[in-house]
Amino acid sequence: MSAPSAKMLLADAINADAATVPDDARIGAFERWDSIAHLRLILSIEEALGRQLDPDEAVAIESLSDVAGLIDGGRKR
Amino acid sequence: MASSSSTGPVDLTTSRFRLRSLTSADASDRWRGWTRDAAVMGPLNAPVRDLSRHDLANYIAAYDNANRYLIGIFEKATGSQIGFFMIEADRGHQTAVFNVVIGEKDWWGKGVVNEARAALLDFFFQHRGIEKACGAPLVRNFAAVFNYKAQGWRHEGTLRGQRRSVADGARLDQYQFGLTRTDWRALRAGADRK
Repeated sequence: MSAPSAKMLLADAINADAATVPDDARIGAFERWDSIAHLRLILSIEEALGRQLDPDEAVAIESLSDVAGLIDGGRKR
Repeated sequence: MASSSSTGPVDLTTSRFRLRSLTSADASDRWRGWTRDAAVMGPLNAPVRDLSRHDLANYIAAYDNANRYLIGIFEKATGSQIGFFMIEADRGHQTAVFNVVIGEKDWWGKGVVNEARAALLDFFFQHRGIEKACGAPLVRNFAAVFNYKAQGWRHEGTLRGQRRSVADGARLDQYQFGLTRTDWRALRAGADRK
């Protein structure tokens, strides 16, 4: 099974369609990305990667692009 | 305007909330319910406890509104308390450590923390002589970490194994976030220009 895309993970976290997630979504600028969505997002990233994020990885997540970097990095492992 | 060294109870309003220093009379069954709720206490690594009203009143009374502040968050529409801030001020170093509990889960994810904390930052920076605010969420308290980042606090470091879990004794990592008065005013000015 292929890994979900970053946009799909964020869309699931905000309970919305992926088409509603802007490419430049980031914390503090995309209103629907709230604290509970962030919690859901991190747990789903960890599920997709099959491991817990380390503290440096978790605190660096600020944008959709950061999520994509983690997911893509996980695929390459 | 209050002098930078002033002390005393806090009473502020935001668009949705009243923030005021708590007194022993605020010890309530609602609050006691939060201390018994693992979902509320767990992310804070605080023990789940069945406090009596008397215990809670004594806890509140230990805050002096000079070096230690316990500030309730009350929904303006209903007057109901939904959470509280604990703020420890070091007046010598002009720093203040912020902690917050939102006990009412219906309010989670609704921007309570940052709306309330913005008003408190304005107040402590302007009226209590604070130059730097600090926060130290556990690494796995993702909602709290989100709030610091969304509000523009800087991640200043990660403390490995800094805390002992009250649940199982495991060592827990903790972040350090900081926000200087200068940074906050720049953020406020930037927001006003938008």
